[in-house]
Amino acid sequence: MGFFEQIAVIITRYYPYFLEGVKNTLIIAAMSVVLGVVFGTLMAIMRMCRIKPLKWIAMAYIEFVRGTPLMVQLMFIFYGLPMVGIEFPDVSWIPNFSRFMAGIVAMSMNSCAYVAEVIRSGIQAVDEGQMEAARSIGFKYGESMKLVILPQAIRNILPALGNEFVTVIKESSIVSVIGISDLMYGTNGVIALTYRSLPCLAIAACIYFVLTFISSRLIAMLEKRMKHGRK
Amino acid sequence: MEGNNIIQVRNLCKSFGNLQVLNDISTDFKEQQVVSIIGPSGGGKSTFLRCLNLLETPTSGKVIFNDVNLCSKDADINVQRQKIGMVFQHFNLFNNMNVMKNLTIAPMRIKGKSKEEAEEKAIGFLKRMGLEDKATSYPAQLSGGQKQRIAIVRSLMMEPEVMLFDEPTSALDPEMIGEVLDVIKQLAMEGMTMLIVTHEMRFAREVSDRILFLDGGKIDEDRTADEFFDDPHSPRLISFLQKVL
Ligand SMILES: Nc1ncnc2c1ncn2[C@@H]1O[C@H](COP(=O)(O)OP(=O)(O)O)[C@@H](O)[C@H]1O
Ligand SMILES: [Mg+2]
Repeated sequence: MGFFEQIAVIITRYYPYFLEGVKNTLIIAAMSVVLGVVFGTLMAIMRMCRIKPLKWIAMAYIEFVRGTPLMVQLMFIFYGLPMVGIEFPDVSWIPNFSRFMAGIVAMSMNSCAYVAEVIRSGIQAVDEGQMEAARSIGFKYGESMKLVILPQAIRNILPALGNEFVTVIKESSIVSVIGISDLMYGTNGVIALTYRSLPCLAIAACIYFVLTFISSRLIAMLEKRMKHGRK
Repeated sequence: MEGNNIIQVRNLCKSFGNLQVLNDISTDFKEQQVVSIIGPSGGGKSTFLRCLNLLETPTSGKVIFNDVNLCSKDADINVQRQKIGMVFQHFNLFNNMNVMKNLTIAPMRIKGKSKEEAEEKAIGFLKRMGLEDKATSYPAQLSGGQKQRIAIVRSLMMEPEVMLFDEPTSALDPEMIGEVLDVIKQLAMEGMTMLIVTHEMRFAREVSDRILFLDGGKIDEDRTADEFFDDPHSPRLISFLQKVL
Protein backbone atom coordinates (compact mmCIF):
# COMPACT_ATOMS: atom_id res chain seq x y z
CA MET A 1 0.00 0.00 0.00
CA GLY A 2 1.42 3.40 -0.98
CA PHE A 3 1.77 6.34 1.33
CA PHE A 4 -1.29 8.20 0.10
CA GLU A 5 -3.41 5.08 0.15
CA GLN A 6 -2.36 4.56 3.75
CA ILE A 7 -3.42 8.09 4.54
CA ALA A 8 -6.77 7.56 2.84
CA VAL A 9 -7.40 4.35 4.76
CA ILE A 10 -6.41 5.89 8.08
CA ILE A 11 -8.68 8.85 7.51
CA THR A 12 -11.69 6.77 6.57
CA ARG A 13 -11.25 4.41 9.50
CA TYR A 14 -10.06 6.72 12.23
CA TYR A 15 -11.41 10.15 11.36
CA PRO A 16 -13.40 10.40 14.62
CA TYR A 17 -10.09 10.48 16.55
CA PHE A 18 -8.87 13.41 14.47
CA LEU A 19 -12.20 15.23 14.62
CA GLU A 20 -12.37 14.91 18.38
CA GLY A 21 -8.78 16.17 18.52
CA VAL A 22 -9.48 19.17 16.29
CA LYS A 23 -12.50 20.08 18.39
CA ASN A 24 -10.51 19.99 21.62
CA THR A 25 -7.54 21.80 20.15
CA LEU A 26 -9.80 24.60 18.96
CA ILE A 27 -11.61 24.79 22.31
CA ILE A 28 -8.32 24.99 24.19
CA ALA A 29 -6.81 27.53 21.81
CA ALA A 30 -9.91 29.74 21.79
CA MET A 31 -10.34 29.63 25.56
CA SER A 32 -6.65 30.30 26.11
CA VAL A 33 -6.58 33.25 23.76
CA VAL A 34 -9.75 34.78 25.22
CA LEU A 35 -8.48 34.39 28.78
CA GLY A 36 -5.00 35.40 27.66
CA VAL A 37 -6.36 38.61 26.16
CA VAL A 38 -8.47 39.44 29.23
CA PHE A 39 -5.66 38.85 31.70
CA GLY A 40 -3.02 40.07 29.30
CA THR A 41 -4.84 43.40 29.12
CA LEU A 42 -4.88 43.62 32.90
CA MET A 43 -1.21 42.64 32.97
CA ALA A 44 -0.40 45.33 30.39
CA ILE A 45 -2.23 47.93 32.47
CA MET A 46 -0.28 46.86 35.54
CA ARG A 47 2.93 46.91 33.55
CA MET A 48 2.31 50.51 32.47
CA CYS A 49 0.76 51.88 35.66
CA ARG A 50 2.45 54.30 37.99
CA ILE A 51 2.10 52.12 41.10
CA LYS A 52 5.58 50.69 41.33
CA PRO A 53 4.87 47.35 43.10
CA LEU A 54 2.15 46.43 40.57
CA LYS A 55 4.49 47.38 37.77
CA TRP A 56 7.27 45.22 39.17
CA ILE A 57 4.99 42.22 39.67
CA ALA A 58 3.82 42.48 36.07
CA MET A 59 7.36 42.91 34.74
CA ALA A 60 8.60 39.92 36.73
CA TYR A 61 5.68 37.77 35.62
CA ILE A 62 6.10 38.66 31.96
CA GLU A 63 9.85 38.09 32.00
CA PHE A 64 9.52 34.80 33.86
CA VAL A 65 6.80 33.35 31.64
CA ARG A 66 8.58 34.39 28.47
CA GLY A 67 11.86 33.04 29.77
CA THR A 68 10.74 29.51 30.67
CA PRO A 69 9.47 26.66 28.46
CA LEU A 70 5.71 26.19 28.14
CA MET A 71 6.27 22.49 28.87
CA VAL A 72 7.70 23.33 32.29
CA GLN A 73 4.86 25.72 33.03
CA LEU A 74 2.30 23.09 32.05
CA MET A 75 3.92 20.43 34.27
CA PHE A 76 4.13 22.91 37.06
CA ILE A 77 0.40 23.64 36.89
CA PHE A 78 -0.67 20.04 36.36
CA TYR A 79 1.60 18.20 38.80
CA GLY A 80 2.89 20.98 40.98
CA LEU A 81 -0.27 22.75 42.07
CA PRO A 82 -2.02 19.62 43.44
CA MET A 83 1.06 18.95 45.58
CA VAL A 84 0.55 22.27 47.34
CA GLY A 85 -3.14 21.55 47.72
CA ILE A 86 -4.56 23.43 44.75
CA GLU A 87 -6.63 21.05 42.62
CA PHE A 88 -8.94 21.61 39.71
CA PRO A 89 -12.32 19.99 40.49
CA ASP A 90 -13.73 17.16 38.41
CA VAL A 91 -17.08 17.75 36.78
CA SER A 92 -19.05 14.58 36.19
CA TRP A 93 -20.61 15.54 32.86
CA ILE A 94 -17.39 16.79 31.28
CA PRO A 95 -14.84 14.00 31.00
CA ASN A 96 -11.31 14.93 32.07
CA PHE A 97 -12.42 18.35 33.21
CA SER A 98 -9.55 18.83 35.65
CA ARG A 99 -6.97 18.00 32.99
CA PHE A 100 -8.64 20.37 30.60
CA MET A 101 -8.62 23.11 33.19
CA ALA A 102 -4.94 22.60 33.92
CA GLY A 103 -4.20 22.78 30.19
CA ILE A 104 -6.24 25.91 29.65
CA VAL A 105 -4.87 27.62 32.75
CA ALA A 106 -1.28 26.90 31.72
CA MET A 107 -1.85 27.97 28.12
CA SER A 108 -3.64 31.17 29.07
CA MET A 109 -1.16 32.11 31.79
CA ASN A 110 1.50 31.72 29.14
CA SER A 111 -0.41 33.58 26.45
CA CYS A 112 -1.25 36.36 28.90
CA ALA A 113 2.40 37.37 29.16
CA TYR A 114 2.84 37.55 25.39
CA VAL A 115 -0.45 39.41 24.97
CA ALA A 116 0.60 41.92 27.62
CA GLU A 117 3.73 42.68 25.63
CA VAL A 118 1.75 42.93 22.40
CA ILE A 119 -0.61 45.46 23.98
CA ARG A 120 2.14 47.46 25.62
CA SER A 121 4.20 47.77 22.47
CA GLY A 122 1.05 48.54 20.47
CA ILE A 123 0.27 51.45 22.76
CA GLN A 124 3.85 52.67 22.89
CA ALA A 125 4.06 52.65 19.13
CA VAL A 126 1.47 55.44 19.00
CA ASP A 127 3.29 58.75 18.57
CA GLU A 128 3.64 60.57 21.90
CA GLY A 129 2.53 63.77 20.23
CA GLN A 130 -0.98 62.30 20.12
CA MET A 131 -1.18 62.11 23.90
CA GLU A 132 0.36 65.57 24.28
CA ALA A 133 -2.15 67.10 21.90
CA ALA A 134 -5.05 65.45 23.70
CA ARG A 135 -3.79 66.55 27.12
CA SER A 136 -2.97 70.07 25.98
CA ILE A 137 -6.51 70.61 24.73
CA GLY A 138 -7.91 69.63 28.14
CA PHE A 139 -8.67 65.90 27.94
CA LYS A 140 -7.92 63.90 31.07
CA TYR A 141 -5.46 61.03 30.83
CA GLY A 142 -8.20 58.37 30.69
CA GLU A 143 -10.17 60.20 28.02
CA SER A 144 -7.04 60.73 25.95
CA MET A 145 -6.36 57.02 26.15
CA LYS A 146 -9.90 56.07 25.23
CA LEU A 147 -10.52 58.58 22.45
CA VAL A 148 -7.10 58.98 20.86
CA ILE A 149 -4.47 56.44 21.90
CA LEU A 150 -6.35 53.13 22.12
CA PRO A 151 -8.19 53.44 18.79
CA GLN A 152 -4.77 53.86 17.15
CA ALA A 153 -3.09 51.23 19.28
CA ILE A 154 -5.78 48.65 18.40
CA ARG A 155 -4.64 48.78 14.81
CA ASN A 156 -1.16 47.75 15.92
CA ILE A 157 -2.43 45.24 18.45
CA LEU A 158 -5.06 43.23 16.54
CA PRO A 159 -2.76 41.77 13.87
CA ALA A 160 -0.28 40.75 16.55
CA LEU A 161 -3.08 39.16 18.57
CA GLY A 162 -4.03 37.21 15.48
CA ASN A 163 -0.49 35.87 15.29
CA GLU A 164 -0.77 34.97 18.95
CA PHE A 165 -3.88 32.88 18.20
CA VAL A 166 -2.00 31.05 15.46
CA THR A 167 0.89 30.44 17.85
CA VAL A 168 -1.43 29.14 20.54
CA ILE A 169 -3.05 26.66 18.11
CA LYS A 170 0.37 25.21 17.37
CA GLU A 171 1.76 25.33 20.88
CA SER A 172 -1.36 23.77 22.35
CA SER A 173 -0.20 20.45 20.94
CA ILE A 174 1.90 20.25 24.08
CA VAL A 175 -1.12 19.66 26.33
CA SER A 176 -1.34 16.12 24.96
CA VAL A 177 1.46 15.20 27.37
CA ILE A 178 -0.89 15.61 30.32
CA GLY A 179 -3.50 13.44 28.64
CA ILE A 180 -5.80 16.01 27.12
CA SER A 181 -7.35 14.53 23.99
CA ASP A 182 -6.33 17.26 21.61
CA LEU A 183 -5.32 16.74 17.99
CA MET A 184 -1.83 15.56 18.90
CA TYR A 185 -3.20 13.15 21.51
CA GLY A 186 -5.69 11.76 18.98
CA THR A 187 -2.90 11.38 16.45
CA ASN A 188 -0.79 9.44 18.94
CA GLY A 189 -3.81 7.26 19.65
CA VAL A 190 -4.19 6.40 15.97
CA ILE A 191 -0.44 5.69 15.71
CA ALA A 192 -0.75 3.24 18.61
CA LEU A 193 -3.62 1.46 16.85
CA THR A 194 -2.12 1.35 13.34
CA TYR A 195 1.67 1.40 13.88
CA ARG A 196 1.79 3.86 10.94
CA SER A 197 3.38 6.91 12.42
CA LEU A 198 4.42 8.75 9.27
CA PRO A 199 1.00 8.94 7.57
CA CYS A 200 -0.66 9.82 10.89
CA LEU A 201 1.78 12.65 11.52
CA ALA A 202 1.32 13.86 7.96
CA ILE A 203 -2.42 14.03 8.54
CA ALA A 204 -1.91 15.92 11.83
CA ALA A 205 0.50 18.36 10.19
CA CYS A 206 -1.97 19.04 7.39
CA ILE A 207 -4.81 19.65 9.86
CA TYR A 208 -2.68 22.01 11.98
CA PHE A 209 -1.66 23.84 8.85
CA VAL A 210 -5.23 24.21 7.64
CA LEU A 211 -6.29 25.53 11.05
CA THR A 212 -3.51 28.11 11.24
CA PHE A 213 -3.84 29.05 7.57
CA ILE A 214 -7.57 29.69 7.86
CA SER A 215 -7.02 31.66 11.06
CA SER A 216 -4.38 33.90 9.57
CA ARG A 217 -6.49 34.50 6.44
CA LEU A 218 -9.45 35.50 8.61
CA ILE A 219 -7.22 37.83 10.59
CA ALA A 220 -5.82 39.39 7.45
CA MET A 221 -9.35 40.05 6.23
CA LEU A 222 -10.26 41.68 9.52
CA GLU A 223 -7.15 43.83 9.32
CA LYS A 224 -7.98 44.96 5.81
CA ARG A 225 -11.49 45.91 6.83
CA MET A 226 -10.13 48.01 9.72
CA LYS A 227 -7.76 49.88 7.45
CA HIS A 228 -10.57 50.81 5.10
CA GLY A 229 -10.95 54.54 4.56
CA ARG A 230 -7.84 55.75 6.24
CA LYS A 231 -4.11 55.29 6.34
CA MET B 1 -2.24 97.44 23.81
CA GLU B 2 -1.31 97.33 27.49
CA GLY B 3 -3.62 94.75 29.04
CA ASN B 4 -3.58 92.79 32.25
CA ASN B 5 -1.05 90.09 32.89
CA ILE B 6 -2.45 86.80 31.67
CA ILE B 7 0.57 84.63 32.47
CA GLN B 8 3.11 85.34 35.17
CA VAL B 9 6.22 83.19 35.34
CA ARG B 10 8.13 83.29 38.62
CA ASN B 11 11.55 81.75 39.20
CA LEU B 12 10.81 78.91 36.81
CA CYS B 13 13.42 76.14 36.85
CA LYS B 14 13.31 72.86 35.00
CA SER B 15 15.83 70.05 35.04
CA PHE B 16 15.86 66.69 33.32
CA GLY B 17 17.97 64.62 35.70
CA ASN B 18 21.21 66.54 36.07
CA LEU B 19 20.60 68.70 33.04
CA GLN B 20 19.25 72.10 34.01
CA VAL B 21 17.26 73.32 31.02
CA LEU B 22 15.48 76.37 32.47
CA ASN B 23 17.36 78.47 34.95
CA ASP B 24 15.27 80.78 37.12
CA ILE B 25 13.05 82.44 34.53
CA SER B 26 10.69 85.22 35.60
CA THR B 27 8.57 87.21 33.17
CA ASP B 28 5.01 88.32 32.45
CA PHE B 29 2.82 88.01 29.39
CA LYS B 30 0.06 90.54 28.85
CA GLU B 31 -3.34 90.08 27.29
CA GLN B 32 -3.40 90.66 23.53
CA GLN B 33 0.38 90.72 23.37
CA VAL B 34 2.20 88.73 20.75
CA VAL B 35 5.54 87.54 22.06
CA SER B 36 8.04 85.60 20.00
CA ILE B 37 10.69 83.42 21.54
CA ILE B 38 13.88 83.02 19.59
CA GLY B 39 17.05 81.19 20.42
CA PRO B 40 19.49 78.46 19.46
CA SER B 41 18.31 74.87 19.28
CA GLY B 42 18.55 73.17 22.67
CA GLY B 43 18.24 76.51 24.46
CA GLY B 44 15.07 75.45 26.25
CA LYS B 45 12.40 77.16 24.14
CA SER B 46 10.13 74.14 23.85
CA THR B 47 10.61 73.23 27.47
CA PHE B 48 9.68 76.76 28.49
CA LEU B 49 6.51 76.71 26.40
CA ARG B 50 5.58 73.25 27.67
CA CYS B 51 6.00 74.38 31.25
CA LEU B 52 3.37 77.05 30.67
CA ASN B 53 0.62 74.46 30.23
CA LEU B 54 2.36 71.90 32.41
CA LEU B 55 3.07 69.38 29.68
CA GLU B 56 6.37 69.51 31.54
CA THR B 57 6.21 69.85 35.31
CA PRO B 58 8.48 72.65 36.49
CA THR B 59 11.14 71.54 38.95
CA SER B 60 10.55 74.72 40.94
CA GLY B 61 8.96 78.11 40.53
CA LYS B 62 5.45 79.16 39.58
CA VAL B 63 3.37 79.58 36.47
CA ILE B 64 0.39 81.80 37.27
CA PHE B 65 -2.37 81.84 34.65
CA ASN B 66 -5.18 84.31 35.38
CA ASP B 67 -4.32 84.33 39.09
CA VAL B 68 -4.31 80.52 39.24
CA ASN B 69 -0.99 78.97 40.17
CA LEU B 70 -0.92 76.03 37.77
CA CYS B 71 1.76 74.26 39.79
CA SER B 72 -0.32 74.10 42.96
CA LYS B 73 -2.18 70.94 43.84
CA ASP B 74 -5.51 72.80 43.99
CA ALA B 75 -5.40 73.93 40.38
CA ASP B 76 -7.37 71.66 38.03
CA ILE B 77 -4.88 71.58 35.21
CA ASN B 78 -7.34 69.92 32.81
CA VAL B 79 -9.69 72.88 33.14
CA GLN B 80 -6.91 75.46 32.77
CA ARG B 81 -5.50 73.74 29.69
CA GLN B 82 -8.81 74.25 27.90
CA LYS B 83 -8.02 77.97 27.90
CA ILE B 84 -4.44 77.55 26.70
CA GLY B 85 -4.24 76.45 23.09
CA MET B 86 -1.10 74.72 21.88
CA VAL B 87 0.17 74.19 18.36
CA PHE B 88 3.00 71.73 17.81
CA GLN B 89 5.80 71.49 15.31
CA HIS B 90 4.51 68.12 14.14
CA PHE B 91 0.82 69.13 14.13
CA ASN B 92 -0.31 66.15 16.20
CA LEU B 93 -3.76 65.98 14.69
CA PHE B 94 -5.64 62.96 16.02
CA ASN B 95 -4.81 60.39 13.35
CA ASN B 96 -7.82 58.23 14.08
CA MET B 97 -10.32 61.00 13.41
CA ASN B 98 -11.26 62.94 10.33
CA VAL B 99 -10.89 66.71 10.23
CA MET B 100 -14.41 67.44 11.45
CA LYS B 101 -14.01 65.03 14.37
CA ASN B 102 -10.61 66.54 15.21
CA LEU B 103 -12.24 69.94 15.48
CA THR B 104 -15.43 69.00 17.30
CA ILE B 105 -14.43 66.29 19.73
CA ALA B 106 -13.01 68.54 22.42
CA PRO B 107 -15.78 71.18 22.37
CA MET B 108 -18.37 68.40 22.47
CA ARG B 109 -16.73 66.14 25.02
CA ILE B 110 -15.17 68.76 27.27
CA LYS B 111 -17.38 71.79 26.92
CA GLY B 112 -20.62 69.92 26.32
CA LYS B 113 -21.35 71.70 23.06
CA SER B 114 -23.98 70.09 20.85
CA LYS B 115 -22.87 68.39 17.67
CA GLU B 116 -24.75 70.94 15.54
CA GLU B 117 -23.21 73.90 17.31
CA ALA B 118 -19.68 72.48 17.18
CA GLU B 119 -19.94 71.49 13.53
CA GLU B 120 -21.37 74.84 12.51
CA LYS B 121 -18.48 76.58 14.17
CA ALA B 122 -15.98 74.18 12.62
CA ILE B 123 -17.43 74.74 9.16
CA GLY B 124 -17.14 78.49 9.70
CA PHE B 125 -13.43 78.15 10.45
CA LEU B 126 -12.85 75.72 7.58
CA LYS B 127 -14.52 78.10 5.15
CA ARG B 128 -12.34 80.97 6.28
CA MET B 129 -9.30 78.79 5.62
CA GLY B 130 -10.64 77.54 2.32
CA LEU B 131 -10.53 74.00 3.68
CA GLU B 132 -14.24 73.19 3.84
CA ASP B 133 -13.83 70.37 1.32
CA LYS B 134 -11.44 68.64 3.75
CA ALA B 135 -13.98 68.09 6.52
CA THR B 136 -14.15 64.35 5.97
CA SER B 137 -10.45 63.84 5.18
CA TYR B 138 -8.14 62.09 7.58
CA PRO B 139 -4.89 63.77 8.63
CA ALA B 140 -2.84 61.37 6.51
CA GLN B 141 -4.57 62.75 3.42
CA LEU B 142 -3.60 66.38 4.08
CA SER B 143 -0.49 68.39 3.23
CA GLY B 144 1.67 69.70 6.08
CA GLY B 145 0.36 73.23 5.68
CA GLN B 146 -3.23 72.01 5.73
CA LYS B 147 -2.55 69.89 8.80
CA GLN B 148 -1.05 72.80 10.68
CA ARG B 149 -3.90 75.13 9.80
CA ILE B 150 -6.39 72.50 10.97
CA ALA B 151 -4.36 72.09 14.16
CA ILE B 152 -4.62 75.83 14.77
CA VAL B 153 -8.37 75.68 14.22
CA ARG B 154 -8.61 72.73 16.58
CA SER B 155 -7.13 74.92 19.31
CA LEU B 156 -9.34 77.88 18.39
CA MET B 157 -12.45 75.74 18.66
CA MET B 158 -11.91 75.73 22.43
CA GLU B 159 -11.92 79.54 22.48
CA PRO B 160 -8.57 79.78 24.25
CA GLU B 161 -7.40 82.90 26.03
CA VAL B 162 -3.83 82.38 24.90
CA MET B 163 -2.17 80.35 22.17
CA LEU B 164 1.25 78.72 22.40
CA PHE B 165 3.04 77.91 19.14
CA ASP B 166 6.12 75.68 19.19
CA GLU B 167 7.91 76.15 15.87
CA PRO B 168 4.66 75.88 13.89
CA THR B 169 6.40 76.05 10.51
CA SER B 170 9.63 74.12 11.14
CA ALA B 171 8.29 70.85 9.78
CA LEU B 172 6.78 72.40 6.66
CA ASP B 173 8.00 72.50 3.08
CA PRO B 174 8.99 76.07 2.24
CA GLU B 175 6.02 76.68 -0.05
CA MET B 176 3.60 75.95 2.80
CA ILE B 177 5.15 78.17 5.44
CA GLY B 178 3.38 81.27 4.17
CA GLU B 179 -0.14 79.91 4.48
CA VAL B 180 0.42 79.02 8.13
CA LEU B 181 2.14 82.30 9.01
CA ASP B 182 -0.76 84.18 7.39
CA VAL B 183 -3.21 82.46 9.73
CA ILE B 184 -1.10 83.43 12.74
CA LYS B 185 -0.81 87.01 11.53
CA GLN B 186 -4.59 87.13 11.14
CA LEU B 187 -4.98 85.94 14.73
CA ALA B 188 -2.56 88.62 15.88
CA MET B 189 -4.66 91.28 14.18
CA GLU B 190 -7.76 89.94 15.90
CA GLY B 191 -6.07 90.48 19.25
CA MET B 192 -5.27 86.90 20.22
CA THR B 193 -2.66 86.61 22.96
CA MET B 194 0.14 84.48 21.57
CA LEU B 195 3.54 83.08 22.44
CA ILE B 196 5.40 81.89 19.38
CA VAL B 197 8.63 79.95 19.27
CA THR B 198 9.94 80.48 15.77
CA HIS B 199 12.97 80.66 13.52
CA GLU B 200 11.18 82.90 11.02
CA MET B 201 12.90 86.21 11.80
CA ARG B 202 11.01 88.43 9.37
CA PHE B 203 7.71 87.06 10.56
CA ALA B 204 8.70 87.50 14.22
CA ARG B 205 9.63 91.11 13.64
CA GLU B 206 6.42 91.79 11.77
CA VAL B 207 3.98 90.12 14.13
CA SER B 208 5.51 90.51 17.61
CA ASP B 209 5.07 93.21 20.21
CA ARG B 210 7.99 91.76 22.07
CA ILE B 211 10.72 89.22 21.44
CA LEU B 212 12.61 87.10 23.95
CA PHE B 213 16.00 85.56 23.29
CA LEU B 214 16.20 82.31 25.21
CA ASP B 215 19.64 80.76 25.47
CA GLY B 216 21.15 78.42 28.02
CA GLY B 217 17.91 78.30 29.97
CA LYS B 218 17.80 82.06 30.57
CA ILE B 219 16.07 85.00 28.93
CA ASP B 220 19.07 86.80 27.57
CA GLU B 221 17.24 89.63 25.88
CA ASP B 222 13.68 90.92 26.20
CA ARG B 223 12.87 93.82 23.87
CA THR B 224 10.37 95.23 21.46
CA ALA B 225 10.54 93.67 18.03
CA ASP B 226 12.42 96.51 16.38
CA GLU B 227 14.91 96.99 19.20
CA PHE B 228 15.54 93.26 19.29
CA PHE B 229 16.91 93.32 15.76
CA ASP B 230 18.22 96.89 15.46
CA ASP B 231 19.80 97.36 18.84
CA PRO B 232 20.57 94.02 20.46
CA HIS B 233 22.56 94.19 23.73
CA SER B 234 23.38 90.61 24.62
CA PRO B 235 26.61 89.46 22.94
CA ARG B 236 25.13 86.02 22.42
CA LEU B 237 22.11 87.49 20.66
CA ILE B 238 24.38 89.62 18.49
CA SER B 239 26.36 86.60 17.35
CA PHE B 240 23.16 84.58 16.95
CA LEU B 241 21.65 87.25 14.71
CA GLN B 242 24.82 87.42 12.66
CA LYS B 243 24.50 83.71 11.98
CA VAL B 244 20.84 83.64 11.06
CA LEU B 245 20.23 86.93 9.28
N1 LIG C 1 12.01 64.98 28.05
C1 LIG C 1 13.31 65.32 28.09
N2 LIG C 1 14.18 64.54 28.75
C2 LIG C 1 15.49 64.86 28.81
N3 LIG C 1 16.03 65.95 28.25
C3 LIG C 1 15.22 66.77 27.57
C4 LIG C 1 13.81 66.50 27.45
N4 LIG C 1 13.24 67.49 26.74
C5 LIG C 1 14.24 68.34 26.41
N5 LIG C 1 15.43 67.92 26.91
C6 LIG C 1 16.70 68.62 26.78
O1 LIG C 1 16.51 69.95 27.21
C7 LIG C 1 17.26 70.84 26.40
C8 LIG C 1 16.36 71.91 25.87
O2 LIG C 1 15.47 71.32 24.95
P1 LIG C 1 14.32 72.13 24.24
O3 LIG C 1 13.48 72.81 25.27
O4 LIG C 1 13.60 71.17 23.35
O5 LIG C 1 15.12 73.19 23.41
P2 LIG C 1 14.66 74.01 22.12
O6 LIG C 1 13.19 73.86 21.95
O7 LIG C 1 15.09 75.43 22.43
O8 LIG C 1 15.44 73.47 20.98
C9 LIG C 1 17.94 69.99 25.34
O9 LIG C 1 19.27 69.77 25.73
C10 LIG C 1 17.16 68.74 25.34
O10 LIG C 1 17.97 67.65 24.98
MG1 LIG D 1 12.07 73.02 20.39
